[in-house]
Amino acid sequence: MKILKYSDVTPHNLYLNRRKFVEALGLTSLAFVATPTTAKPSYSTSAKPNTIDEITNYNNFYEFGTSKTDPAKYAHSLTTDPWEIIFDGVSQNKKRFDLPEILKGKAIQERIYRLRCVEGWSMVIPWIGFPLRDLINELEIDNNAKFVAFETVYRPKEMRGQKRATLDWPYREGLTIEEALHPLTFIATGLYGNELPNQNGAPFRLVIPWKYGFKSIKSINKISFMKEQPYTTWSSESPREYGFYSNVNPNVDHPRWSQATERVIGEGLFGERRKTELFNGYVEEVGDLYKGMDLKKYY
Amino acid sequence: MTFSSLFRSLPISLLYCILLIPIPLYFYWGTVNQLGPDPLRFLEHKYGELGLIFLLITLSISPLFKYAKINLMSYRRCIGLVAFYYIVSHICVYFFLDIGLSIDILLSDLQKRYYIIAGFFAFITLIPLALTSNNFALSKLNIKTWNRIHSFNYIAIVLSIFHFILMSKTWTGELYFYTGITIFILILKIKSTKFYKKLSTYSKADISK
Repeated sequence: MKILKYSDVTPHNLYLNRRKFVEALGLTSLAFVATPTTAKPSYSTSAKPNTIDEITNYNNFYEFGTSKTDPAKYAHSLTTDPWEIIFDGVSQNKKRFDLPEILKGKAIQERIYRLRCVEGWSMVIPWIGFPLRDLINELEIDNNAKFVAFETVYRPKEMRGQKRATLDWPYREGLTIEEALHPLTFIATGLYGNELPNQNGAPFRLVIPWKYGFKSIKSINKISFMKEQPYTTWSSESPREYGFYSNVNPNVDHPRWSQATERVIGEGLFGERRKTELFNGYVEEVGDLYKGMDLKKYY
Repeated sequence: MTFSSLFRSLPISLLYCILLIPIPLYFYWGTVNQLGPDPLRFLEHKYGELGLIFLLITLSISPLFKYAKINLMSYRRCIGLVAFYYIVSHICVYFFLDIGLSIDILLSDLQKRYYIIAGFFAFITLIPLALTSNNFALSKLNIKTWNRIHSFNYIAIVLSIFHFILMSKTWTGELYFYTGITIFILILKIKSTKFYKKLSTYSKADISK
Protein backbone atom coordinates (compact mmCIF):
# COMPACT_ATOMS: atom_id res chain seq x y z
CA MET A 1 0.00 0.00 0.00
CA LYS A 2 1.27 3.45 -0.83
CA ILE A 3 1.72 5.64 2.19
CA LEU A 4 0.70 9.18 1.40
CA LYS A 5 2.82 12.02 2.55
CA TYR A 6 1.17 15.17 3.80
CA SER A 7 2.53 16.94 0.72
CA ASP A 8 0.55 14.61 -1.54
CA VAL A 9 -2.67 16.16 -0.38
CA THR A 10 -1.42 19.63 0.36
CA PRO A 11 0.38 20.72 -2.76
CA HIS A 12 0.71 24.33 -1.65
CA ASN A 13 2.57 25.87 1.18
CA LEU A 14 0.47 25.20 4.21
CA TYR A 15 1.41 28.32 6.10
CA LEU A 16 0.53 30.61 3.20
CA ASN A 17 -2.69 28.83 2.62
CA ARG A 18 -3.67 28.98 6.21
CA ARG A 19 -2.99 32.66 5.97
CA LYS A 20 -5.27 32.89 2.91
CA PHE A 21 -7.83 30.77 4.68
CA VAL A 22 -7.75 33.09 7.65
CA GLU A 23 -7.91 36.19 5.46
CA ALA A 24 -10.88 34.77 3.63
CA LEU A 25 -12.70 34.57 6.92
CA GLY A 26 -11.97 38.22 7.55
CA LEU A 27 -9.66 37.59 10.44
CA THR A 28 -6.67 39.77 11.09
CA SER A 29 -4.74 37.46 13.31
CA LEU A 30 -3.68 33.87 12.94
CA ALA A 31 -4.22 33.42 16.64
CA PHE A 32 -7.84 32.49 16.06
CA VAL A 33 -6.96 29.36 14.17
CA ALA A 34 -5.01 26.67 15.83
CA THR A 35 -2.22 24.84 14.09
CA PRO A 36 -3.50 22.03 11.87
CA THR A 37 -3.05 18.76 13.63
CA THR A 38 -2.71 15.47 11.85
CA ALA A 39 -5.83 13.40 12.22
CA LYS A 40 -5.75 9.94 13.70
CA PRO A 41 -4.48 7.98 10.71
CA SER A 42 -7.47 5.65 10.65
CA TYR A 43 -9.85 8.53 10.03
CA SER A 44 -8.28 9.38 6.68
CA THR A 45 -8.32 6.95 3.79
CA SER A 46 -5.05 5.96 2.14
CA ALA A 47 -6.71 6.15 -1.29
CA LYS A 48 -5.31 8.69 -3.72
CA PRO A 49 -7.31 11.93 -3.63
CA ASN A 50 -8.99 13.25 -6.76
CA THR A 51 -7.50 16.33 -8.38
CA ILE A 52 -8.72 19.78 -7.33
CA ASP A 53 -10.03 20.14 -10.88
CA GLU A 54 -12.25 17.07 -10.54
CA ILE A 55 -13.44 18.01 -7.06
CA THR A 56 -14.40 21.54 -8.07
CA ASN A 57 -15.98 20.80 -11.47
CA TYR A 58 -18.23 17.87 -10.70
CA ASN A 59 -20.71 18.92 -8.04
CA ASN A 60 -24.29 18.31 -7.05
CA PHE A 61 -25.41 21.62 -5.59
CA TYR A 62 -28.93 22.17 -6.94
CA GLU A 63 -29.02 25.69 -5.44
CA PHE A 64 -26.92 26.63 -8.48
CA GLY A 65 -28.51 24.34 -11.06
CA THR A 66 -29.06 20.64 -11.63
CA SER A 67 -26.09 20.01 -13.93
CA LYS A 68 -22.79 18.85 -12.42
CA THR A 69 -21.02 21.82 -14.01
CA ASP A 70 -23.52 24.49 -12.88
CA PRO A 71 -22.04 24.98 -9.38
CA ALA A 72 -18.58 25.76 -10.81
CA LYS A 73 -20.18 28.26 -13.20
CA TYR A 74 -22.55 30.04 -10.85
CA ALA A 75 -21.52 29.53 -7.23
CA HIS A 76 -19.26 32.60 -7.22
CA SER A 77 -22.39 34.75 -6.76
CA LEU A 78 -22.82 33.53 -3.18
CA THR A 79 -21.54 35.91 -0.50
CA THR A 80 -19.74 33.80 2.09
CA ASP A 81 -18.27 36.62 4.14
CA PRO A 82 -19.74 37.67 6.53
CA TRP A 83 -21.42 34.38 7.44
CA GLU A 84 -23.71 33.87 10.38
CA ILE A 85 -24.82 30.58 11.88
CA ILE A 86 -27.99 30.44 13.92
CA PHE A 87 -28.49 27.80 16.61
CA ASP A 88 -31.84 26.55 17.79
CA GLY A 89 -32.63 24.14 20.62
CA VAL A 90 -29.84 25.54 22.78
CA SER A 91 -30.38 27.10 26.18
CA GLN A 92 -27.58 29.66 26.09
CA ASN A 93 -28.49 33.33 25.49
CA LYS A 94 -26.26 33.86 22.49
CA LYS A 95 -27.75 31.94 19.59
CA ARG A 96 -26.19 33.65 16.56
CA PHE A 97 -22.50 33.42 15.81
CA ASP A 98 -20.29 34.81 13.09
CA LEU A 99 -18.11 32.18 11.49
CA PRO A 100 -14.83 33.49 12.97
CA GLU A 101 -16.37 33.15 16.44
CA ILE A 102 -17.11 29.51 15.72
CA LEU A 103 -13.67 28.77 14.29
CA LYS A 104 -11.89 30.44 17.18
CA GLY A 105 -9.87 27.89 19.10
CA LYS A 106 -10.83 24.95 16.91
CA ALA A 107 -8.09 22.50 16.03
CA ILE A 108 -8.14 22.68 12.24
CA GLN A 109 -7.17 19.38 10.69
CA GLU A 110 -7.17 17.51 7.41
CA ARG A 111 -9.36 14.51 6.66
CA ILE A 112 -9.08 12.56 3.45
CA TYR A 113 -12.50 11.02 3.01
CA ARG A 114 -14.12 8.89 0.37
CA LEU A 115 -17.34 10.45 -0.92
CA ARG A 116 -19.96 8.05 -2.29
CA CYS A 117 -22.83 9.73 -4.16
CA VAL A 118 -26.25 8.09 -4.17
CA GLU A 119 -26.10 8.33 -7.98
CA GLY A 120 -23.39 5.65 -8.06
CA TRP A 121 -20.06 7.47 -8.33
CA SER A 122 -17.31 8.20 -5.84
CA MET A 123 -14.37 10.51 -5.18
CA VAL A 124 -11.65 10.94 -2.58
CA ILE A 125 -11.49 14.43 -1.09
CA PRO A 126 -8.93 16.03 1.25
CA TRP A 127 -11.05 18.27 3.46
CA ILE A 128 -9.85 20.82 5.98
CA GLY A 129 -11.94 21.54 9.07
CA PHE A 130 -12.83 20.15 12.48
CA PRO A 131 -15.08 17.43 13.96
CA LEU A 132 -18.65 18.62 14.49
CA ARG A 133 -18.48 17.33 18.08
CA ASP A 134 -15.91 20.01 18.89
CA LEU A 135 -18.61 22.59 18.14
CA ILE A 136 -21.51 20.74 19.78
CA ASN A 137 -19.51 20.31 22.99
CA GLU A 138 -19.23 24.09 23.31
CA LEU A 139 -22.98 24.58 23.16
CA GLU A 140 -25.56 24.19 25.91
CA ILE A 141 -27.90 21.93 24.02
CA ASP A 142 -31.33 20.98 25.34
CA ASN A 143 -31.21 17.80 27.43
CA ASN A 144 -33.88 15.98 25.49
CA ALA A 145 -32.34 16.67 22.07
CA LYS A 146 -32.12 13.47 20.04
CA PHE A 147 -31.55 14.88 16.55
CA VAL A 148 -29.61 17.65 14.85
CA ALA A 149 -31.10 19.48 11.86
CA PHE A 150 -29.09 21.53 9.37
CA GLU A 151 -30.23 24.11 6.86
CA THR A 152 -28.52 25.55 3.79
CA VAL A 153 -28.79 29.30 3.39
CA TYR A 154 -31.80 30.47 1.35
CA ARG A 155 -30.82 33.32 -0.98
CA PRO A 156 -32.54 33.04 -4.39
CA LYS A 157 -30.85 36.29 -5.47
CA GLU A 158 -27.43 34.71 -5.06
CA MET A 159 -28.35 31.09 -5.71
CA ARG A 160 -30.03 30.95 -9.09
CA GLY A 161 -31.25 27.38 -8.70
CA GLN A 162 -33.44 28.42 -5.76
CA LYS A 163 -35.57 30.52 -8.12
CA ARG A 164 -36.98 27.27 -9.47
CA ALA A 165 -38.85 24.77 -7.33
CA THR A 166 -36.49 21.88 -8.16
CA LEU A 167 -36.51 20.99 -4.46
CA ASP A 168 -38.44 22.34 -1.48
CA TRP A 169 -35.99 25.10 -0.46
CA PRO A 170 -34.12 25.62 1.78
CA TYR A 171 -32.22 22.34 1.56
CA ARG A 172 -32.39 20.54 4.89
CA GLU A 173 -30.60 17.55 6.35
CA GLY A 174 -30.39 15.85 9.71
CA LEU A 175 -28.57 13.35 11.89
CA THR A 176 -29.22 11.58 15.16
CA ILE A 177 -27.31 13.16 18.02
CA GLU A 178 -25.09 10.04 18.24
CA GLU A 179 -24.20 10.37 14.55
CA ALA A 180 -23.52 14.08 14.96
CA LEU A 181 -21.19 13.43 17.88
CA HIS A 182 -19.23 10.70 16.09
CA PRO A 183 -15.59 11.70 15.63
CA LEU A 184 -15.82 11.04 11.86
CA THR A 185 -18.60 13.61 11.41
CA PHE A 186 -16.75 16.62 10.16
CA ILE A 187 -17.31 20.29 9.41
CA ALA A 188 -15.30 21.30 6.36
CA THR A 189 -14.20 24.88 5.91
CA GLY A 190 -11.37 24.14 3.50
CA LEU A 191 -10.25 21.88 0.70
CA TYR A 192 -6.75 20.81 -0.41
CA GLY A 193 -5.16 23.09 2.15
CA ASN A 194 -7.04 26.10 0.82
CA GLU A 195 -10.28 27.81 1.66
CA LEU A 196 -13.39 25.93 0.57
CA PRO A 197 -14.52 26.85 -2.98
CA ASN A 198 -18.14 28.03 -3.18
CA GLN A 199 -19.22 25.11 -5.36
CA ASN A 200 -18.09 22.73 -2.63
CA GLY A 201 -20.32 24.33 -0.01
CA ALA A 202 -18.40 27.32 1.32
CA PRO A 203 -17.92 28.55 3.89
CA PHE A 204 -19.19 25.86 6.26
CA ARG A 205 -20.42 22.40 5.32
CA LEU A 206 -20.99 19.00 6.81
CA VAL A 207 -19.07 15.87 5.72
CA ILE A 208 -20.28 12.45 6.84
CA PRO A 209 -18.10 9.90 5.03
CA TRP A 210 -20.23 6.80 5.70
CA LYS A 211 -23.46 8.27 4.29
CA TYR A 212 -24.47 9.09 0.73
CA GLY A 213 -23.20 12.49 -0.35
CA PHE A 214 -26.52 14.32 -0.18
CA LYS A 215 -26.48 14.00 3.65
CA SER A 216 -23.34 16.16 3.70
CA ILE A 217 -25.23 19.46 3.50
CA LYS A 218 -23.46 22.53 2.10
CA SER A 219 -23.33 26.23 3.02
CA ILE A 220 -25.03 25.77 6.39
CA ASN A 221 -26.47 28.77 8.22
CA LYS A 222 -28.75 27.10 10.73
CA ILE A 223 -28.26 24.19 13.15
CA SER A 224 -31.12 23.02 15.39
CA PHE A 225 -31.20 20.46 18.17
CA MET A 226 -34.54 18.74 18.53
CA LYS A 227 -36.49 15.89 20.06
CA GLU A 228 -38.19 14.66 16.90
CA GLN A 229 -36.62 13.43 13.68
CA PRO A 230 -36.27 16.54 11.51
CA TYR A 231 -37.54 17.20 7.98
CA THR A 232 -34.89 16.20 5.46
CA THR A 233 -35.13 17.29 1.83
CA TRP A 234 -34.50 14.18 -0.28
CA SER A 235 -36.28 11.76 2.02
CA SER A 236 -39.34 14.03 1.85
CA GLU A 237 -39.01 14.46 -1.92
CA SER A 238 -39.13 10.70 -2.42
CA PRO A 239 -39.41 8.71 0.85
CA ARG A 240 -39.28 5.36 -0.96
CA GLU A 241 -35.93 6.19 -2.55
CA TYR A 242 -34.09 8.19 0.10
CA GLY A 243 -34.20 7.35 3.78
CA PHE A 244 -33.35 9.46 6.81
CA TYR A 245 -30.24 7.41 7.49
CA SER A 246 -29.00 6.94 3.91
CA ASN A 247 -25.94 5.00 5.01
CA VAL A 248 -23.82 3.74 2.12
CA ASN A 249 -24.89 0.13 1.69
CA PRO A 250 -24.17 -2.10 -1.34
CA ASN A 251 -26.88 -4.55 -0.24
CA VAL A 252 -29.75 -2.08 -0.28
CA ASP A 253 -30.44 -0.82 -3.79
CA HIS A 254 -31.97 2.47 -4.71
CA PRO A 255 -35.38 1.41 -6.08
CA ARG A 256 -34.37 2.54 -9.55
CA TRP A 257 -30.71 1.57 -9.66
CA SER A 258 -28.15 -0.71 -8.04
CA GLN A 259 -25.84 0.47 -5.25
CA ALA A 260 -23.54 -2.58 -5.42
CA THR A 261 -20.77 -0.81 -7.34
CA GLU A 262 -19.61 2.72 -8.07
CA ARG A 263 -17.85 4.59 -10.85
CA VAL A 264 -14.60 6.03 -9.59
CA ILE A 265 -14.23 9.61 -10.79
CA GLY A 266 -10.82 10.19 -12.32
CA GLU A 267 -10.41 6.65 -13.66
CA GLY A 268 -11.29 7.73 -17.19
CA LEU A 269 -13.49 6.19 -19.86
CA PHE A 270 -12.15 2.67 -19.37
CA GLY A 271 -11.94 2.72 -15.59
CA GLU A 272 -13.20 -0.29 -13.70
CA ARG A 273 -16.15 -0.02 -11.34
CA ARG A 274 -15.36 -0.28 -7.66
CA LYS A 275 -17.28 -2.52 -5.27
CA THR A 276 -19.17 -0.32 -2.85
CA GLU A 277 -18.40 -1.05 0.80
CA LEU A 278 -20.84 -1.11 3.70
CA PHE A 279 -20.80 2.29 5.44
CA ASN A 280 -18.37 3.33 2.70
CA GLY A 281 -15.64 1.31 4.38
CA TYR A 282 -16.17 2.69 7.91
CA VAL A 283 -17.84 -0.39 9.44
CA GLU A 284 -15.29 -0.55 12.21
CA GLU A 285 -15.83 3.06 13.22
CA VAL A 286 -19.60 3.43 12.88
CA GLY A 287 -20.94 -0.14 12.93
CA ASP A 288 -21.89 0.18 16.61
CA LEU A 289 -24.25 3.08 15.86
CA TYR A 290 -26.49 0.72 13.90
CA LYS A 291 -26.08 -2.50 15.86
CA GLY A 292 -29.24 -4.59 15.63
CA MET A 293 -30.86 -2.15 13.23
CA ASP A 294 -32.62 -3.55 10.17
CA LEU A 295 -30.67 -1.67 7.49
CA LYS A 296 -33.15 -2.70 4.78
CA LYS A 297 -35.95 -1.02 6.71
CA TYR A 298 -33.97 1.98 7.95
CA TYR A 299 -32.18 2.74 4.67
CA MET B 1 -32.97 30.31 -53.14
CA THR B 2 -35.09 29.52 -50.10
CA PHE B 3 -33.74 27.88 -47.00
CA SER B 4 -35.44 24.57 -47.68
CA SER B 5 -34.23 24.37 -51.27
CA LEU B 6 -30.69 25.21 -50.15
CA PHE B 7 -30.93 22.52 -47.54
CA ARG B 8 -32.35 20.07 -50.05
CA SER B 9 -29.42 20.55 -52.39
CA LEU B 10 -27.20 18.90 -49.78
CA PRO B 11 -26.24 15.37 -50.88
CA ILE B 12 -27.54 12.73 -48.47
CA SER B 13 -24.15 11.06 -48.03
CA LEU B 14 -22.66 14.35 -46.85
CA LEU B 15 -25.53 14.80 -44.41
CA TYR B 16 -24.85 11.33 -42.95
CA CYS B 17 -21.20 12.24 -42.43
CA ILE B 18 -21.96 15.56 -40.75
CA LEU B 19 -24.59 14.15 -38.44
CA LEU B 20 -22.56 11.10 -37.44
CA ILE B 21 -19.20 12.82 -36.87
CA PRO B 22 -19.97 13.48 -33.16
CA ILE B 23 -20.02 9.72 -32.47
CA PRO B 24 -16.29 9.09 -33.13
CA LEU B 25 -15.39 12.63 -32.09
CA TYR B 26 -16.89 12.37 -28.61
CA PHE B 27 -15.41 8.90 -28.22
CA TYR B 28 -11.98 10.24 -29.13
CA TRP B 29 -12.35 13.11 -26.64
CA GLY B 30 -13.31 10.54 -24.04
CA THR B 31 -10.15 8.50 -24.63
CA VAL B 32 -7.94 11.59 -24.25
CA ASN B 33 -9.83 12.67 -21.12
CA GLN B 34 -11.48 15.78 -22.55
CA LEU B 35 -15.02 15.06 -21.36
CA GLY B 36 -14.75 16.28 -17.77
CA PRO B 37 -14.33 14.31 -14.53
CA ASP B 38 -16.90 11.63 -15.46
CA PRO B 39 -16.24 10.83 -19.16
CA LEU B 40 -18.23 7.60 -19.13
CA ARG B 41 -21.46 9.19 -17.94
CA PHE B 42 -20.85 12.14 -20.27
CA LEU B 43 -20.47 9.91 -23.33
CA GLU B 44 -23.39 7.68 -22.38
CA HIS B 45 -25.70 10.65 -21.83
CA LYS B 46 -24.48 12.57 -24.86
CA TYR B 47 -25.17 9.69 -27.28
CA GLY B 48 -28.53 9.08 -25.63
CA GLU B 49 -29.50 12.75 -25.76
CA LEU B 50 -28.46 13.09 -29.42
CA GLY B 51 -30.43 9.94 -30.23
CA LEU B 52 -33.48 11.50 -28.61
CA ILE B 53 -32.96 14.80 -30.44
CA PHE B 54 -32.68 13.11 -33.85
CA LEU B 55 -35.69 10.95 -33.09
CA LEU B 56 -37.68 14.10 -32.30
CA ILE B 57 -36.42 15.78 -35.51
CA THR B 58 -37.50 12.73 -37.54
CA LEU B 59 -40.96 12.97 -36.02
CA SER B 60 -41.14 16.73 -36.67
CA ILE B 61 -40.50 16.44 -40.41
CA SER B 62 -44.02 15.45 -41.34
CA PRO B 63 -45.77 18.14 -39.20
CA LEU B 64 -43.23 20.71 -40.47
CA PHE B 65 -44.31 19.93 -44.02
CA LYS B 66 -47.98 19.90 -43.16
CA TYR B 67 -48.18 23.04 -41.03
CA ALA B 68 -45.17 25.14 -42.02
CA LYS B 69 -44.69 23.99 -45.64
CA ILE B 70 -41.03 23.22 -44.93
CA ASN B 71 -40.18 20.18 -46.98
CA LEU B 72 -37.46 18.01 -45.49
CA MET B 73 -39.16 14.76 -46.43
CA SER B 74 -36.20 13.51 -48.46
CA TYR B 75 -34.01 13.71 -45.33
CA ARG B 76 -36.31 11.84 -43.02
CA ARG B 77 -34.82 8.42 -43.63
CA CYS B 78 -31.29 9.72 -43.11
CA ILE B 79 -32.12 11.53 -39.87
CA GLY B 80 -34.12 8.58 -38.58
CA LEU B 81 -31.22 6.21 -39.20
CA VAL B 82 -28.80 8.67 -37.62
CA ALA B 83 -31.02 8.61 -34.50
CA PHE B 84 -30.82 4.81 -34.55
CA TYR B 85 -27.00 4.85 -34.79
CA TYR B 86 -26.78 7.21 -31.82
CA ILE B 87 -29.02 4.93 -29.81
CA VAL B 88 -26.88 1.91 -30.77
CA SER B 89 -23.78 3.86 -29.64
CA HIS B 90 -25.55 4.78 -26.40
CA ILE B 91 -26.29 1.11 -25.70
CA CYS B 92 -22.72 0.11 -26.60
CA VAL B 93 -21.33 2.55 -24.02
CA TYR B 94 -23.72 1.14 -21.44
CA PHE B 95 -22.89 -2.49 -22.21
CA PHE B 96 -19.16 -2.36 -22.99
CA LEU B 97 -17.98 0.45 -20.72
CA ASP B 98 -20.59 1.15 -18.04
CA ILE B 99 -21.43 -2.39 -16.92
CA GLY B 100 -18.22 -3.83 -18.38
CA LEU B 101 -19.83 -6.60 -20.50
CA SER B 102 -21.44 -8.15 -17.46
CA ILE B 103 -24.38 -10.33 -18.50
CA ASP B 104 -25.35 -10.65 -14.83
CA ILE B 105 -25.78 -6.90 -14.39
CA LEU B 106 -27.57 -6.67 -17.74
CA LEU B 107 -30.08 -9.34 -16.77
CA SER B 108 -30.66 -7.93 -13.31
CA ASP B 109 -31.08 -4.42 -14.79
CA LEU B 110 -33.61 -5.78 -17.28
CA GLN B 111 -35.59 -7.34 -14.46
CA LYS B 112 -35.42 -4.62 -11.86
CA ARG B 113 -34.63 -1.23 -13.39
CA TYR B 114 -37.67 0.40 -14.95
CA TYR B 115 -35.64 2.99 -16.86
CA ILE B 116 -33.54 0.26 -18.45
CA ILE B 117 -36.63 -1.79 -19.32
CA ALA B 118 -38.23 1.28 -20.95
CA GLY B 119 -35.03 2.06 -22.84
CA PHE B 120 -34.61 -1.55 -23.93
CA PHE B 121 -38.11 -1.72 -25.39
CA ALA B 122 -37.64 1.64 -27.10
CA PHE B 123 -34.60 0.15 -28.83
CA ILE B 124 -36.41 -3.11 -29.75
CA THR B 125 -39.25 -1.04 -31.26
CA LEU B 126 -36.79 0.84 -33.43
CA ILE B 127 -35.10 -2.24 -34.93
CA PRO B 128 -37.84 -3.02 -37.51
CA LEU B 129 -37.86 0.66 -38.50
CA ALA B 130 -34.12 0.68 -39.08
CA LEU B 131 -34.30 -2.60 -41.03
CA THR B 132 -37.01 -1.27 -43.34
CA SER B 133 -35.47 2.17 -43.91
CA ASN B 134 -34.20 1.31 -47.38
CA ASN B 135 -35.53 1.19 -50.91
CA PHE B 136 -35.44 -2.58 -51.02
CA ALA B 137 -37.81 -2.93 -48.06
CA LEU B 138 -39.98 -0.16 -49.44
CA SER B 139 -40.33 -2.00 -52.78
CA LYS B 140 -41.04 -5.39 -51.15
CA LEU B 141 -43.49 -4.22 -48.50
CA ASN B 142 -47.07 -3.15 -48.90
CA ILE B 143 -47.12 0.62 -48.21
CA LYS B 144 -49.74 0.16 -45.49
CA THR B 145 -47.55 -2.36 -43.68
CA TRP B 146 -44.54 -0.12 -44.10
CA ASN B 147 -46.43 2.86 -42.68
CA ARG B 148 -47.63 0.80 -39.77
CA ILE B 149 -44.08 -0.32 -38.93
CA HIS B 150 -42.87 3.26 -39.08
CA SER B 151 -45.60 4.52 -36.79
CA PHE B 152 -43.75 2.49 -34.09
CA ASN B 153 -41.61 5.61 -33.90
CA TYR B 154 -44.29 7.16 -31.70
CA ILE B 155 -44.11 4.22 -29.31
CA ALA B 156 -40.33 4.49 -29.27
CA ILE B 157 -40.37 8.20 -28.45
CA VAL B 158 -42.83 7.70 -25.57
CA LEU B 159 -40.68 4.87 -24.17
CA SER B 160 -37.53 6.96 -24.60
CA ILE B 161 -39.05 9.86 -22.69
CA PHE B 162 -40.09 7.45 -19.92
CA HIS B 163 -36.54 6.08 -19.93
CA PHE B 164 -35.26 9.65 -19.41
CA ILE B 165 -37.83 10.55 -16.70
CA LEU B 166 -37.25 7.32 -14.77
CA MET B 167 -33.50 7.77 -14.57
CA SER B 168 -33.67 11.40 -13.44
CA LYS B 169 -33.57 12.46 -9.82
CA THR B 170 -35.71 15.57 -10.36
CA TRP B 171 -37.53 17.42 -13.13
CA THR B 172 -34.75 19.40 -14.76
CA GLY B 173 -35.14 22.06 -17.44
CA GLU B 174 -34.01 19.58 -20.13
CA LEU B 175 -36.56 17.03 -19.03
CA TYR B 176 -39.40 19.57 -19.28
CA PHE B 177 -38.11 20.65 -22.68
CA TYR B 178 -37.95 17.19 -24.28
CA THR B 179 -41.18 16.00 -22.67
CA GLY B 180 -42.94 19.18 -23.86
CA ILE B 181 -41.81 18.70 -27.46
CA THR B 182 -42.81 15.03 -27.37
CA ILE B 183 -46.30 15.89 -26.10
CA PHE B 184 -46.63 18.56 -28.78
CA ILE B 185 -45.65 16.13 -31.56
CA LEU B 186 -48.03 13.50 -30.17
CA ILE B 187 -50.94 15.98 -30.09
CA LEU B 188 -50.30 16.91 -33.73
CA LYS B 189 -50.19 13.21 -34.63
CA ILE B 190 -53.40 12.41 -32.76
CA LYS B 191 -55.15 15.33 -34.47
CA SER B 192 -54.23 13.94 -37.89
CA THR B 193 -55.53 10.42 -37.23
CA LYS B 194 -58.71 9.23 -38.93
CA PHE B 195 -60.15 8.34 -35.54
CA TYR B 196 -59.78 11.89 -34.24
CA LYS B 197 -61.22 13.37 -37.43
CA LYS B 198 -64.22 11.11 -37.23
CA LEU B 199 -64.69 12.01 -33.57
CA SER B 200 -64.57 15.74 -34.29
CA THR B 201 -67.03 15.50 -37.22
CA TYR B 202 -69.42 13.63 -34.94
CA SER B 203 -69.16 16.23 -32.20
CA LYS B 204 -69.60 19.05 -34.72
CA ALA B 205 -72.68 17.29 -36.02
CA ASP B 206 -73.96 17.13 -32.45
CA ILE B 207 -73.49 20.85 -31.93
CA SER B 208 -75.24 21.79 -35.17
CA LYS B 209 -78.27 19.74 -34.20
